[in-house]
Amino acid sequence: MEHPIILQMQGITKIFPGVRALDDVTLEVHRGTILSICGENGAGKSTLMKVLSGVYPHGTYEGKIIYMGEEVTFKDIKESEHAGIAIIHQELAMVPELSVTENIFLGNEIIKRGLIDWDAQRVHTVEVLKKVGLTVDPDTLIKHLGVGQQQLVEIAKALSKNVKLLILDEPTSALNEADSANLLELMRGLKDLDITCIMISHKLNEIAAISDAVTVIRDGRTVETYAVEAGQVDEDRIIRAMVGRSIENRFPVHVSKPGEVIFEVTDWRVEDPNNPGRLVCKNSNFNVRAGEIVGFAGLMGAGRTELMRSIFGHNYGIYLGGSIKIKGKEIHVNSVASAIRQGIAYVPEDRKNLGLNLLNSIRITTVSANLKGILRGGLLDLDKEYEVAEEYRRSLRVKTQSVDRGVATLSGGNQQKVVLGKWMFTGPDVLILDEPTRGIDVGAKYEIYRLIHELADHGKAVIIVSSELPELIGITDRIYTIFEGEITGMIDSKEAQQENLMKMMTSNSGS
Amino acid sequence: MIYIKKIFGDKLQDYTMVLALVALAIIFNIISGGKMITSSNFQNLISGNAYVMVLAIGMMMVIVIGQIDLSVGSVAGFSGMVMAIAVRDLGLTWWVGVLLSLAVGATIGAWQGFWLAKLGIPGFITTLGGMMIFRGGVIWISRSISVPAPRELKIFGAGHLPEWGPAFTGMNNSTLLLGIIAITAFAFTQLRKHNRSKKTKELWPVLVRIALVSVVIGYLTWIFGTGRPGTSFPVPGLILVVLVLIYHTITTRTTFGRHIYAVGGNKSAAALSGVNVQKTYFLTMLNMSFLAALAGIMFVGRSNAAGPSDGIGWELDAIASVFIGGAAVSGGVGTIIATMVGGLVMTVLNSGLMLMGVGADRTQVIKGLVLLAAVGIDVFNKKEGRQSIIGRLFPAKSK
Amino acid sequence: MKKLLSLLIMVSLITVMVAGCGKTPERVEPETTETTETTETPEAPATAEAGFAADSVIGVALPWLGTQNWAEADEMFKSKLEAAGFQAIVQHADNKVPTQQQQIESMVQNGAKVIVVGPVDGSQLGGVLEEAAAAGIFIIGYDRLIENTTAIDGVVQFDSIKTGVLQGEALLTGLAAQKGEGPYNIELFGGGPADPNAPNFFKGAMTVLQPKIDDGTIVVVSGQTDFTQAATLDWDNSKAQARMDSLLSGFYSDKEIHGVLCPNDGIARAVITASGQAGQETPVTSGLDAENETVTWIWEGRQYSTIAKPTDTLVSKTIEIIKALQAGNGLPAPDETTDNGMKEVGIYALPPLVVTKENIKEAFANDPGRLELLK
Repeated sequence: MEHPIILQMQGITKIFPGVRALDDVTLEVHRGTILSICGENGAGKSTLMKVLSGVYPHGTYEGKIIYMGEEVTFKDIKESEHAGIAIIHQELAMVPELSVTENIFLGNEIIKRGLIDWDAQRVHTVEVLKKVGLTVDPDTLIKHLGVGQQQLVEIAKALSKNVKLLILDEPTSALNEADSANLLELMRGLKDLDITCIMISHKLNEIAAISDAVTVIRDGRTVETYAVEAGQVDEDRIIRAMVGRSIENRFPVHVSKPGEVIFEVTDWRVEDPNNPGRLVCKNSNFNVRAGEIVGFAGLMGAGRTELMRSIFGHNYGIYLGGSIKIKGKEIHVNSVASAIRQGIAYVPEDRKNLGLNLLNSIRITTVSANLKGILRGGLLDLDKEYEVAEEYRRSLRVKTQSVDRGVATLSGGNQQKVVLGKWMFTGPDVLILDEPTRGIDVGAKYEIYRLIHELADHGKAVIIVSSELPELIGITDRIYTIFEGEITGMIDSKEAQQENLMKMMTSNSGS
Repeated sequence: MIYIKKIFGDKLQDYTMVLALVALAIIFNIISGGKMITSSNFQNLISGNAYVMVLAIGMMMVIVIGQIDLSVGSVAGFSGMVMAIAVRDLGLTWWVGVLLSLAVGATIGAWQGFWLAKLGIPGFITTLGGMMIFRGGVIWISRSISVPAPRELKIFGAGHLPEWGPAFTGMNNSTLLLGIIAITAFAFTQLRKHNRSKKTKELWPVLVRIALVSVVIGYLTWIFGTGRPGTSFPVPGLILVVLVLIYHTITTRTTFGRHIYAVGGNKSAAALSGVNVQKTYFLTMLNMSFLAALAGIMFVGRSNAAGPSDGIGWELDAIASVFIGGAAVSGGVGTIIATMVGGLVMTVLNSGLMLMGVGADRTQVIKGLVLLAAVGIDVFNKKEGRQSIIGRLFPAKSK
Repeated sequence: MKKLLSLLIMVSLITVMVAGCGKTPERVEPETTETTETTETPEAPATAEAGFAADSVIGVALPWLGTQNWAEADEMFKSKLEAAGFQAIVQHADNKVPTQQQQIESMVQNGAKVIVVGPVDGSQLGGVLEEAAAAGIFIIGYDRLIENTTAIDGVVQFDSIKTGVLQGEALLTGLAAQKGEGPYNIELFGGGPADPNAPNFFKGAMTVLQPKIDDGTIVVVSGQTDFTQAATLDWDNSKAQARMDSLLSGFYSDKEIHGVLCPNDGIARAVITASGQAGQETPVTSGLDAENETVTWIWEGRQYSTIAKPTDTLVSKTIEIIKALQAGNGLPAPDETTDNGMKEVGIYALPPLVVTKENIKEAFANDPGRLELLK
């Protein structure tokens, strides 16, 4: 390859008390290329990047970092930034109440005679915004930008500091399809500006689309590194390397046995609470059979989550009308508590902010949606609680030493299992799962899919909302599509393909 | 080390504050020449601080839901004054006055709960308003003059358990009875717990635990029971113990208790688990002001009069106790027992410094430093991967 | 670990330092176990004739050190009690009732034979004082009456009604001397309502002023002649100044203020300052306590009068009573008695002294500190 090497990390070993987080990791990046680092959650990708950027200062790890031909010993993130290395984290680090300009120059202000030179900053901002293809007023407040645009501002901020090596940690995890595509395009463009990118990602299709090289890390070790040609990446090879075994089929085989229709929603209408007059759900009608898994596909903001949360005890928006029947009987759900009581369960998409109390133990979490289930004589029966938690730990195969451990200590996949257990304990007829595998690595996803299938086999009606179309096609029986608050179609999963789903998700022509 | 863990459970760092408390008491006892650990001083400690501890119970719950109540001092002062004035001017019987005062407290709590739960005004602001309103109120209705309280109330603020029965025990028999009940209850619950968890647990740590606790309770009983004739375990202390038992049960064994922690830990997740967040806010605030009224009554009983400046600064003592007891500023964390230990640390410190003749000014400085140190150590301890102080004292070689 | 250690060390160092400052002579030395033991087994309560050891512990609970008279009392009790051979515990409560209650309890704990109490709130110490009395301790009120309890053996104070009368008279004399012919425009200020003396000062002053108001010689322009209207919460100067500001802007935009009844020096200075800021000529004021600042102001003619209640006299009288009790002579006969709501309490009343520029030098002839200010 004609590109010179810009960065070499050699024999990096980082030990935390009791854990060998990185073990002799080696990495090489060529200047002006895109390297993708893949690996399951906890494989050590983020730790490696923290070593590189000086979050873990020189001396706290073993090994050598050679950057632009010289060995570097960063003591903190300032030093690495100075050398032209910038990290863009999964969670954006922008101040929402400040403007684009202010954010770009935060901590790095252009000072003239002791005061901030606003004109110079603004001129500079417009320049870097042009580089990332963003046309917004530099005085716009960050909070008024979409997530995708914020991400671009973050990249612009890095560019304003003359970055040479840009690290993006799961850059598209919060973006919708269009924004993701846009971002990937931008990364390709950065190559022409002689900027090198390292991308950490779970999403194989993205890796395949833009990488020049792939490094796979597993359990703190480099498994393999190889150059690829963009668009010609063997996804299965990456998966094999990541999980250390071959997953023949990403989705477990399942034959569903749908029974009667037990869940039926008619003419459901919901108004946007922040935007009077705008409907986020327009006369939605759908039904689910016992033992059936039904998917909901739609672009971000189409109203999938809003519809589900509204059905779940009017938890979102202003309810305007519509009815719900469970097992043929009409029910009224005007609070979350009554929805739970009448057999509906909802697992939210944002596990950390909506699904879990991270201060709690597994045991307390498991019973938290059905405290009545462990009441005895008006008081909580803590022995019963323990039994219940143990039972779900066993049946859901949660990997933990004890149910008294905090849920915060669990990996994403195990957290999701605990959340599933919590809702199974409420004894629901209908389970709504919103993005059930978001942020979960490949191996754990497979287990979650199996659990979902088991739920259906027990006669539950299961609804799955997901942005990952292959996932929907792989595990559901039927798929509804939503576009701008309207259900635009329904299709049997056997006939569904990404292309025809996409078409139904982006127009209200119906099918 | 492994034996100690078997006796006290795995979370040894929970005992850091208890250890600090015992150490403080012993150190002060030495410095003051044996005046700290005496019958009368312990009685004073309890009756002089029970009302702040009552506030701390409610405050712990408020802090757990992620709020703060700045108005408790004013509400305590106001409720106490209402009672004193009602009894003096309306000629009510004393206990009617007490009930009235508690009702006033609960009403104030409902008012604050309404602002917080229904209108969504943060508790800090709601209760800052309440702090001013009820401070002004107490001065207004009293015309800034102290009002004498019914004498019957003295028992709640400064009373002692009655003397009865045979004298050969050499101590106050009410106190003795209380101690015996406490030991029996502890042993009973421990043994029952052991019997129910049939899982391979050994019996000896339970017995050692019972023996240790019995010795401690027995010692305390002896101290409280052998004071000047006519004195015993103070009535305000008894009120406090009863409240602690009730609220410990509420916070650990009821759905409402679980809801408090759920709301404080993650409000949105709690709402999506079917918890009525508004109702939880409302009840917690209501309960706080109710307890504030009770604290006000206890203080009036101790003082023989309700004064216009009753309650000034109490909220801060209560809040300090809660945080020394390890509660989190962001909510979701805290226990009644730890809060009581936190309150006792402040109390023992206060008393010890006074016995040494340290003035109120320097006492304040020291209390401030102790608050910072306690919370600092707690935060330090809870950083991931760190051993507790006790853990460091006994390095775990076998594990 | 290092961090934790250094934190611990720092905090304990500071704690020791701060607490260490307390090891001034008033601290009770641990060797005094002998006295402690005797209190722990009290015989029959208070046989006054028996007396007690000449080196016994004497507790003095003062409300706070925020005004000069209390700060002086703090110093004098320490030095004079030590000089008399007693062991003194002198504490102040930062104006907080609960703190004072606990301080009194700790004095009982320390084996005090007599506790002198300058109460934060005279009616809120009943519970603890009754405990102390039950332990056989004599309780003497200092400067303020202790109400609503039987546990009080006597009160040493300047006659508060008399003080008020003198304040009223001084105000009238000053008006006649400085403001020409009447009628005079005046305002009235009262002290902290929680202090039982404050209404008495006001009552005393009104016995002199009310007839003059009735015959029109003086006019209270605001019409606020009730004690609750005139009172100054907690004797807080800033509250008095705020009230004066609003009175001046509300009632005196087109009038001149001639005099103000002020219950103490701090309030007098606040009133004078407010008047100056409002562009008024300095009104004639009364005062109380003869604080250093006021002595200067009177000497410079900025404040008309004050009333000296020499702390020295008050402290000496108190110690005289303590000595009588120690010797087993019982309580001296009081000058008068007053009803505190529960019993008739003996009052040892001391005469206050009006100080104006005319007599200031002779008034402080024995007070080198204040004489120094008159140069």
